[in-house]
Amino acid sequence: MKKRLVIILFFVIIFITFIVVWNFSYQKGLEEAYMPVIETPAGNFMPTESGVFKRSNVAVDYLNMPVDENHQRTLEAYYASRAFPGAPPSIPHPVAKERSLGGNTCLQCHQNGGFVEKYSAYAPITPHPEMVNCRQCHVTKNTNETFKEFTFSKKQPPKVGEGQNSALLGSPPVMPHQLQMRENCLSCHAGPSTPKLIRVSHPERVNCRQCHVPKTNEQVQVDINKFLRQFNSSSNE
Amino acid sequence: MDQSVTNRRSFIKKMAMLSAMTAAASMFPGILFASEQEKGIPKGANLDWKKGPCRFCGVGCGILVGTENGKAVAVKGDPNSSVNKGLLCVKGYHQTMCIQSKDRLKHALVKKNGKYVETPLAEALDIVANKMKTTIAQHGKDSVAMYTSGQSTIPEGYVASKLMKGAIGTNNLDCNARLCMASAVTGFLTTFGADEPMGCYEDIDHADYFITWGNNMAEMHPVLFSRMLEQKSRRDVKIIDFATRTTRSSTASDRSILFEPQTDLAIANAICYEIIKNKWVNKSFVEKHCNFSKGITNMGYGLEDNYEFTDKPEKINFEAYKEFLKDYSPEKVSKYSKVSVMDIKYLASIYGDPNKKVVSYWCMGVNQHTRGTWMNNLIYNIHLLTGKISKPGDGPFSLTGQPSACGTAREVGTFTHKLPHGVVMNQKDRELAAKIWKVPVEKIPSKPTYHATEMFRAVDRGEIKFIWTQATNPLVSLPKTGRYRPAMEKESCFVVVSDVFPTPTSDVADVILPAAWHIEKSGLYGNSERRTQHWDKMVEAPGEATADAWMFIEVAKRMGYGDLFPYSKENHVEEIYNEYRQFHEGSKHGMAPLEVLKKESGAIWPYVEGKSTQWRFNAKYDPACSNGEAFHFYGKPDGKAVIWQRPFEDAPEKPDAEYPFWLNTGRVIEHWHTGSMTRRIPVLHQAMPNAYVEFHPDDAKALGVRNGENIKVTSRRGYCVLPASINERGLPTKGQVFVPFFDENMLINDVTLDAFCPISKEPDYKKCAVKVEKA
Repeated sequence: MKKRLVIILFFVIIFITFIVVWNFSYQKGLEEAYMPVIETPAGNFMPTESGVFKRSNVAVDYLNMPVDENHQRTLEAYYASRAFPGAPPSIPHPVAKERSLGGNTCLQCHQNGGFVEKYSAYAPITPHPEMVNCRQCHVTKNTNETFKEFTFSKKQPPKVGEGQNSALLGSPPVMPHQLQMRENCLSCHAGPSTPKLIRVSHPERVNCRQCHVPKTNEQVQVDINKFLRQFNSSSNE
Repeated sequence: MDQSVTNRRSFIKKMAMLSAMTAAASMFPGILFASEQEKGIPKGANLDWKKGPCRFCGVGCGILVGTENGKAVAVKGDPNSSVNKGLLCVKGYHQTMCIQSKDRLKHALVKKNGKYVETPLAEALDIVANKMKTTIAQHGKDSVAMYTSGQSTIPEGYVASKLMKGAIGTNNLDCNARLCMASAVTGFLTTFGADEPMGCYEDIDHADYFITWGNNMAEMHPVLFSRMLEQKSRRDVKIIDFATRTTRSSTASDRSILFEPQTDLAIANAICYEIIKNKWVNKSFVEKHCNFSKGITNMGYGLEDNYEFTDKPEKINFEAYKEFLKDYSPEKVSKYSKVSVMDIKYLASIYGDPNKKVVSYWCMGVNQHTRGTWMNNLIYNIHLLTGKISKPGDGPFSLTGQPSACGTAREVGTFTHKLPHGVVMNQKDRELAAKIWKVPVEKIPSKPTYHATEMFRAVDRGEIKFIWTQATNPLVSLPKTGRYRPAMEKESCFVVVSDVFPTPTSDVADVILPAAWHIEKSGLYGNSERRTQHWDKMVEAPGEATADAWMFIEVAKRMGYGDLFPYSKENHVEEIYNEYRQFHEGSKHGMAPLEVLKKESGAIWPYVEGKSTQWRFNAKYDPACSNGEAFHFYGKPDGKAVIWQRPFEDAPEKPDAEYPFWLNTGRVIEHWHTGSMTRRIPVLHQAMPNAYVEFHPDDAKALGVRNGENIKVTSRRGYCVLPASINERGLPTKGQVFVPFFDENMLINDVTLDAFCPISKEPDYKKCAVKVEKA
């Protein structure tokens, strides 16, 4: 008798639960579809210059890393893969998937670098890992031939080395190159893949642009002549 | 292959060893850093290195200038200076280049029939002295005025004060530090009764959190910011950027919180509300060391001529203060500050956490504010309520803009109301000054006259007939220059300008005096952390260019005050400093003797028994504390600091239908103030050749503005045309535009408003309403 009551009660509870759950989900289904509108805060943009701090989290590691003399890249090798200084470098090794954009495949080695046994070299680090369509600009080199004979007057790379870009003896060198897509200084100027001549001795000073300023205004060339003030004071007799 | 594997193995072993070594060495990276710089200098170079402070900002980095054959050829950071430990910024490294500019003022120029005529200096000084004398004879002592600078050296400021207040007997002396530090001074005086920060830069090495209030330190105080970043990479330290514009500092910070201009007042109160509500108040500290007060509200904005205001403090109790704060719950404040409730509570929780050390930094965002004194008070409130003050790593720290705004403007007192010790209103302070200056006490007037803005208004009104400016460029830096340029051009006022280079201010001068630059004279500067620094002359000035202090003395002698200025040309800096030191004798403000300053890279006052005092008001470090407690705010008669009840009040001019944008102005890392020096340094000019107007990308899109297009920025006072800059150096909030003020060809101060804080008289350059259109 008692057993039967318990079983009936059990089914009653299951039934009630079913009604409740079914009702709840039915009511939910009646609600209008709604997408919460998230207002973009006014400061959601970042100035283009913010790139300078991008790799600052590993700056101290760079400082403490000894130089692997046997696998250093040379500046010649650095420029050899570029048509002219500032041009996107070509890919000097075979790529696995011809149909891929690059993206994660490339970034596996080129986001944070590291030694690649196969090529016996350190992978260079990209200054713009957020741009994942790598092969839009970087292409492989599949032949050394040219289609027709070709003369290209290659722009000489800026001179680097002690004192080359310093205005005063020993003063911090100015940046002799454009910064577009290369605002992240540490990606090219620190770490084991960096050519010796352009390796910074003090990567832990992450606010690079405190001391190093661009040589020309990179962003907009403004004709300021129309704004020029006439100097009265210097017009002495 | 085998070969390379063993190579790699031995390499890894070496790596482990080396990293241990470099870790130890990197404890003092700055010191390694300066020697690093020497690699760039040819081995054969035979440079003579002399120490000094940097010429530019208020951080006061130690520099070493290398000279060769009488020319300055190199600059490096002074590794012995605890300020910068061998590091500088781009301005510092290239500073000496400006003196070789071709348009350098080498001779006195006197305007004759509308033309400037090169004149022997002695003759030009005769003209200045005669003009001053005849003007005083005709129109009285208060018709002559002097406007100096936070870049004047301590001896220059001292001689200016002695000449005007002691010899001539007028308080018509003010300086450009009124435009940058006055609110900091009144903030300190109202809360603590003693000017200048209680802490020092070493706080950076101890703090857990840095909260920067309206302050882009990465560009404006870069060396201190680098010290903060260094801590960040070494230990768990966080930087919170609280501002109205996204800048380099924001991108390097752990959190960037943006607020609507002027609402910082409300947010500071909301933080106090949260601290009290959550019982984060350090009760014993507040009971022992704090009073509560309120002052007059609805003070006005000083927009009208001859505006006067005196605050009337009134004591209140904690309950009344708590009641007042009820209007500032985060929920209420969030509505008009555009800062989320969560962010306000987050800020409060940082200050409230008793286990975290917090340093607040601020500079012009807080000071150049029509309620600047209040804003300073409110930040002190937060630190006083939580007891986070006067301890290593805990404290409010007001940064300065100019190299000697503290040392000269504030300590020597080149303000209308100040004396080297105390204020002109105080009988005892006048007596002390009269005694040291050896003048009758009646000579020093007891009533302050014109503060900076009012001084130039008085020039416009014709009340001031003679004005002498030194080391400053008011016709670029004053607010509403559109009024003051024609004022200075008026025949009614004779204008003398002492400067190193021609500027828009020297353009309107009747006499231009050629000044020696920084390293071409000896001098002393005082930086933000109360550090006094001395340097010796390193190179000769060109032509007849002469140290400003000496030109003041020469004019004083010509006016018949020779006996008050018995200094020698060779040694005047030393003689003046030793006379000046007498004003500050004692444990509260004792200055280090010159022998110490010559040897060391600066010393912090109070300098007591051969020791710098790093943290004032804390009995552990400050020998002037005498109440037997852990803390003693001895600036106030009862030894207690004041927590001020200061409400939120609106800005005098807000964006409306006709002028829909906020205009904010400021600086960039490459240029210093009006750029008369930094623009003459090729490296800096090439990096930042001209000013620009920054837009938020959404606003630019709505207006159809592209990068580089010419934009006309117009206010009710004037207009300025500049190229647009979208998403580059900085990013103002929506509805705001930003313009740096360094460019004399694009005078944004024609547009700004000359409203000021009624207590400090410091103008607000950060807020006025403008419209923008394509030019």
